Amino acid sequence: MKPLRIALTKGRLEKDTVALLEQIGYDCSAVRNKGRRLILPIGSGEIEVVLAKAADVITYVEHGVCDLGVVGKDTILENGTSFYELLDLGFGKCRFAVAGKAGYDFYDGYKAKTIATKYPNVARTHFENKAMDIRFIKIEGSVELAPLLGLADAIVDIVETGSTLKENGLEVYEEVVPISARLIANNASLKLRKKEIEELVDKMEKYITRTE
Amino acid sequence: MKAYYKITPEGTKDYLFEEASAINEVACITTSVYRSKGYHEVKTPGLEFFDEFNLKSSAIAQERMFKLTDNKGRLMVIRPDSTLPIARVVATRLQNKPMPIRLFYNQSVFRSNPSLTGRKNEVRQTGIELLGAVGKRADLEVIITAIEALQKIVPDFRIELGHAGLFRSLAKKLDCSDEIKESIRDSIQSKNYSQLNSILDTLPQSDTVEAIRKLPRLFGGEEVLTQAAPLFEGTEGESDLAYLSEIYHALSKLMMGDKLIMDLGFVQRNDYYSDFIFSAYVEGSGDAVLTGGRYDKLLDEFDAPMPAAGFALNADALADIMLSSGKSFEEKPADIIVHADEGFEMDAISQCRFYTLSGFKCENSVFTSRDEVIRYAKENGVKQVCFMSGKPETIDIENMGEQI
Repeated sequence: MKPLRIALTKGRLEKDTVALLEQIGYDCSAVRNKGRRLILPIGSGEIEVVLAKAADVITYVEHGVCDLGVVGKDTILENGTSFYELLDLGFGKCRFAVAGKAGYDFYDGYKAKTIATKYPNVARTHFENKAMDIRFIKIEGSVELAPLLGLADAIVDIVETGSTLKENGLEVYEEVVPISARLIANNASLKLRKKEIEELVDKMEKYITRTE
Repeated sequence: MKAYYKITPEGTKDYLFEEASAINEVACITTSVYRSKGYHEVKTPGLEFFDEFNLKSSAIAQERMFKLTDNKGRLMVIRPDSTLPIARVVATRLQNKPMPIRLFYNQSVFRSNPSLTGRKNEVRQTGIELLGAVGKRADLEVIITAIEALQKIVPDFRIELGHAGLFRSLAKKLDCSDEIKESIRDSIQSKNYSQLNSILDTLPQSDTVEAIRKLPRLFGGEEVLTQAAPLFEGTEGESDLAYLSEIYHALSKLMMGDKLIMDLGFVQRNDYYSDFIFSAYVEGSGDAVLTGGRYDKLLDEFDAPMPAAGFALNADALADIMLSSGKSFEEKPADIIVHADEGFEMDAISQCRFYTLSGFKCENSVFTSRDEVIRYAKENGVKQVCFMSGKPETIDIENMGEQI
């Protein structure tokens, strides 16, 4: 039997997922001592963990080369298309928000506004729903700079504690959507390997509801 | 200006040798299954008017269609789907034909996918449509045709059954806007439990809300029917569930238990399928390789109301699976090459004809010298060369050693 392959988003989500898998009884020592390897067996070999960047987790799952994936809702909103979203894992919590210079009324006036963001799809959907005509500029990192330097009126970005915003004299204007880590499944895998996937999901779900 | 004359557009490719053979093989196998059951072949234009694919019950997202304009400025699309053109044909040219009408097709559909996702924009499909027939007999015929076609191509697959009426019956009783219903349908479709729950939590609690909450989890075998029965008691969905159960039990006589699954949260998006729906999954393909179902409302749009059902099978995906499962489509080299010495060209042609009529694979040499043809035969694994200079003179390449 082929192992069930689960793609994890490298970094913090990976650590939280490994902790969750250990809590529900899988031996994850191979992942803890991974070195530079990217594909690792866990438990007694019935599951294989693949480590990838967030957006790639979705790509691997969509194409069915990984059966399951753990990825943030932010990545799903920005890149997602066709897969099953099975479980809110409860960790990696933060939110998308519109933010800008403190004290500025972003929604005032008739002038078309400019938004800088790393998440153009999320930003576009949000303002389309509000029927606001916005010019979007894609920024790759430290989006907070854009309103400070006068490139944009505001940003759409992930906000966790808000301390980066505060230190730079910015504030949240509006919350867009809450974010947390999700367990996703390939459409065909869920049908072809229903029993294995359901067992794993049940264990995870029981543990999550117990700790909530 | 950069000219793109040496590459194919993203999402398309050239199919060489065994890739082409494998696709032909899928077409041959399925065609013989369809024909043996009395289905007739149709081919529809590659280019059609946009309006046909923008009907209310069929809407294919416009950004997914390849568009162009004709010389009157009318909007055209490159065929994005085969069922709609067939519905059009039946409503127009075949309107006086006695029912039922059994048709099959074998042609590409074109849909634009986001860039760099590795998805195909041209997909070869084959499928059937059974028009003017309703009920269990018709539905079983369609799905069994699909199963028989798949059985001849791949050893192992899963068939999934569902019914669009189940969600519809629950949604009807739901007290909320159509927009919310649409997002509920969307989260059921993607089995997005957490999103579904957060939408349902905003609605006044009721049995219907609880039933919808359970819907996406209701997939599997026999047990699903028992779990679902109380949820649909007294709703319009009760008869749909009973019908699904009837189909399931009829098919379970054909297929081993766990190869047949039901998914009551199977709600197709933007689709003409209105009742019984099904799809097929194969190991090695991340998406369904076949989708089908009943679309009784679609022909209304062409002013020819009639019940209809059918399916489309992704021939590209199945050909890929055939190839990766090790089935060999490699072509044998020719058995013999006939080479004409100067002046004996017509003799060589008739010698070629003699060999092919005798059942050999025979190439005609286009070289001017004997040395060239022998080198060519060696390089391409052809075992014999026949020289024509009056009398045919045959040489065994393998026994020649290093003479040349």
